[in-house]
Amino acid sequence: MSEYLLDMRGIVKDFSGVKALNGIDLKVKPGECVGLCGENGAGKSTLMKVLSAVYPHGTWEGQIFWEGTELKAQTIRETEEAGIVIIHQELMLVPQLSVAENIFMGNEIKLPGGIMNYGAMYQRAEELMKELKMPDVNVAKPVHNYGGGHQQLIEIAKALNKKAKLLILDEPTSSLTKSETEILLNIIRELKKKGVACVMISHKLDEIAAVCDTISVIRDGTHVGTRPMAEMDTNEIITMMVGREIKNLFPREEHPIGEVFFEAKNITCVDVTNAARKRVDNVSLKLRKGEILGISGLVGAGRTELAMAIFGCYPGEYQAELWLDGKQISVNSPRDAVTQGICLVPEDRKRHGIVPLQGVGANITMAVLNKFAKFGVIDASAEMHQIQQSIARMRVKTASPTLPIKGLSGGNQQKAVVSKMLLPNPKVLILDEPTRGVDVGAKYEIYKLMFELVKQGLSIIMISSELPEVLGISDRVLVIGEGQLRGDFVNDGLTQEQVMTAALGHSLQNAA
Amino acid sequence: MSTASKGLQRVFSQYKILTLLFAIIVIWVFFNYLTDYLFLTPRNISNLFRQMAITGMLASGMVFIIIAGEIDLSVGSLLGLLGGIAAILDYTYHVPLTAIFAIVLLLGVAIGGWTGYWVAYQRVPSFIVSLSGFLAFRGILLGITKGTTVPVESQGLVWLGQGYLPVWLGNTIAIVALLFLAFQSYQARTSRLKYGLTVTPVWQDVAKLVLAAAIIAGFVHTLNSYEGAPGVPVPVLITLIILAVFTFVANRTVFGRRIYSIGSNLEATRLSGVNVKAIKLAVFALMGLMCALAGMTTTARLAAGGPSAGNLGELDAIASCFIGGASSRGGVGTIYGALIGALIMASLDNGMSMLGLDSFWQMIVKGTILLLAVWVDVISGAGNDR
Repeated sequence: MSEYLLDMRGIVKDFSGVKALNGIDLKVKPGECVGLCGENGAGKSTLMKVLSAVYPHGTWEGQIFWEGTELKAQTIRETEEAGIVIIHQELMLVPQLSVAENIFMGNEIKLPGGIMNYGAMYQRAEELMKELKMPDVNVAKPVHNYGGGHQQLIEIAKALNKKAKLLILDEPTSSLTKSETEILLNIIRELKKKGVACVMISHKLDEIAAVCDTISVIRDGTHVGTRPMAEMDTNEIITMMVGREIKNLFPREEHPIGEVFFEAKNITCVDVTNAARKRVDNVSLKLRKGEILGISGLVGAGRTELAMAIFGCYPGEYQAELWLDGKQISVNSPRDAVTQGICLVPEDRKRHGIVPLQGVGANITMAVLNKFAKFGVIDASAEMHQIQQSIARMRVKTASPTLPIKGLSGGNQQKAVVSKMLLPNPKVLILDEPTRGVDVGAKYEIYKLMFELVKQGLSIIMISSELPEVLGISDRVLVIGEGQLRGDFVNDGLTQEQVMTAALGHSLQNAA
Repeated sequence: MSTASKGLQRVFSQYKILTLLFAIIVIWVFFNYLTDYLFLTPRNISNLFRQMAITGMLASGMVFIIIAGEIDLSVGSLLGLLGGIAAILDYTYHVPLTAIFAIVLLLGVAIGGWTGYWVAYQRVPSFIVSLSGFLAFRGILLGITKGTTVPVESQGLVWLGQGYLPVWLGNTIAIVALLFLAFQSYQARTSRLKYGLTVTPVWQDVAKLVLAAAIIAGFVHTLNSYEGAPGVPVPVLITLIILAVFTFVANRTVFGRRIYSIGSNLEATRLSGVNVKAIKLAVFALMGLMCALAGMTTTARLAAGGPSAGNLGELDAIASCFIGGASSRGGVGTIYGALIGALIMASLDNGMSMLGLDSFWQMIVKGTILLLAVWVDVISGAGNDR
C-alpha cells in the first residue's frame, strides 16, 4: 500500500472545449493537511468536485487512487462511504432541525419500522460535540440557535460521524469571526493528530500557513507546484498564484482626470445572518471626475456589498454617507440612487440585471421609461428611436429589439444592461464584474466603451476579480479584504503581486 | 413527433390566441351538435356573453395580479361585499345612483389597496393576505346584511345588470370603435415615420382593420338579432370597454410595462430604480375597482344583494387567467386571453346546463380543463425559461 491516502494523477476536466483542469496532480498522506491555493477561477472547486464525484468517474480524464486502489465513484454517496467528505462554503444544514438531526441526516439511527432512535443519536452527537470541544451545545436544539462558527463545527461533526478520513474544507472561515476561526483551526490540528487528513481551500494565507503541512498551487487549471509549507513563505505562494503575463487585451486610452467629486464615507454592512460579522467594515472611498476606480479583492471580501450600500440596496443593516459635488445626498433605494446620478450594473446578470421575458428594447429603456411617456402613456416610436440608438452604440447583436433578452448571449445581455444604466445619464457608474461570463470580443468592446465614457467626464467604479483586468483598466485601485480597506494604489507600475498581497492582508514591504 | 406536428406546436405556442380560439370553436361546435343546434342561436350567444361578463371583469383585474407574480383569493368575497353595500345604499338609505357608483368604486379601490399594502409594503405573501380577505370580507357582508337578501329599487342600477343597449346605440359604438382603431393605426404609422422607423406595408394595416370590422360587425349583429331582447347587454359592453382600456394599459403605458417587468424579474426591476412596491399596490387597487364593478353588476343582475353573492368567484377568475395563457410563474399573460378563458368557462357551464347535466359534472369538467390548460402551457413552454 502506498504512503498516500489520496493520489490524484493527471486530472483533466473540460467543459465543452474549455479545459477547467488540465493535468492536475494532488497527493495527500494520512493525517496531513494540504492547502490548495489559487486565484478565483483557477480550478480549485472543480478539482474538489471531481474528487467527491459531483462530476462522476468518466466525465473527466485521469486517475484517482484512494488508499492504494483506484476509485471510480459515480455518486457522492460512494465517495462519502469511502471516507471523503466535502464541507462546502455554503453550509448545508437545515436550520430548523436539531443539531443531532442534522448530524445524522441521511444516516439516521433507526429502530425497527423506521422510527428515529433519538436516544442513540443524541448520545453519539454529544460524544462528537465533546470531541470537537463544544460540550455546551444542546444537541436537541435547532441549529439556528447557534452561530456561524458552531454551525461550521456541526458540519465537521456530521463529516466525522461518516467516518471521514479526508475532509475537504472549501473556504471554511469565510463566514467566521476571528475567534471562531481560531477554534476551527485548533480543531483541524486535533483532527490531524487523530490521523484525519484535510484539504483546505482558502484565500487566507495566514490560516493556510497556520495549519497546513503542504501547499499545492494551481493556476488556470494547471498544477504550478506542491511544496512543504516549511520551505515556503506567503509571498512565494502569491507569486506562484498570479505568475502569468498580462496579454494586451486592454485598449487603454489616456484621459484627463479631474477633482474629487464623489465620496462615500464610513460604509459598514452587517451580515444578514450573523449580526456579529461585518461584511464591510468602515470603508471610505473618493472618486475623481473621469476616473476609473478599480476595486479588487477576493470573492467574499465585501466588494459587492460595498457597491450595494452605495446604490441603496444592501439587504441587511448598513450605513453609508454619500457626498456628491460637495453636497451630502440621501440614498435609501436604487430609485434614489438613479435619480441622484448613481447607477449600478450588478454582478449577477441573470438575477439582478435582465428581465428575461421582456424584449431587449424594453430592458434598455426600463430605467428611463417615464421620459418617453405623457400621462403614463408610452410614445412607442420615441422609445424605439432611443432603443435603436442604444443598440447601435453598444453594438448589441439581436435579431429584433422586441426579442426577449433571455435569448441573447451573455455578452450581448451585458451590453444591454450597461445601456440601460447609461440612459439615466449617471455621474457615477458602478460596474460589478462587468465582464463575467462575457466572451473576449465583447469584453474588449466593454473596455472600449468604458474609456469612451470617462473621456466624456463620467466616473466609473469597477469591481473585478480578475487582476489583469483591474490593472489593465483602472486609474486607481482599491483593495478590499475581509470587509476592510487594505490598500489604495495609483495604478502606475502596480503589480499583481502587490494587489494580491494587500488582498490577502500582508503588508506591502514584504511584497517588494 | 413528426416535423409537421412540431411545426403546428410552434405555431400554437407562438400564437396562443389561436389555440384558445380553436378551443372555443371546438367547444361551441360540440355543444351545438349535442343540443340540436340550439347552442349557437342569437338568444343563447347573448346569454352566454352575459354570463361571462362578471367573471370577465374579475379575470381582467386578476390577470394583472397574476402577471405581477401574485394571487388574490379575496375577489369573490369582495365582489359580494361591494355588491351588498350597493344594495344597502340603494334600498335602506335611498342614495342616488351616481353617489352609489362613486362610493362603491372608491371603496373597491381602497379595499384593494389595503390588500396591496400588506403584500407590497409589509411583505406578507399575497396568498395569505387575500385568504384573510376572503374570510373577513365575507364576514363583513354577512354582518351588514344580517344574512338576508337586500332588494334593489333603483331601475338605473338594475339596468346595469339586465339592460340592453338600443340597437342604434350598439351600432354607433361599433362604428366609433372601428374609427378609433383606424385612427390609432394611422397615428402609429405617422409617428414611426417621424422617427425614421420602418413601417408595415399599408395593405397589412388595412387587412387588420377589415378583419377587426368583420369581427365587430358579426358580434354586434348577432346580439342585435336576438328577438326576445335585441342589443348588446350592458354588462357585456362594460366588459368590452375594460378589455379595450386594460389592453391599452398593458401594452402602451409605463404602468403596464412595469407589471410585466415585476412578474418576470422583480429584483432587476427594483435595481433599475423602479418603485416596485407602488406598482404592486396599484395592481391590487385596480383589482378592487374591478370587484366593485363586478359586485354592482351582480347585484343589478339579481336585482338584490345577498350574503352568498360572488361565492368562489375568485376561482373562476383565476382559472380563466390560466386557461387564457397567463403563467403561474408571472411575467406572462394577456387581457384578451383571460377573457377568452372566461368565455370558455362560461361556454362549458352554459352548454352543460343546456344538456341538463348536473352541476357536479360542470365542476368536474371545469377542474379537468383547468389542469389540462396549464399542463399544455407547461409542456409547450418547457425548456424555454427553465
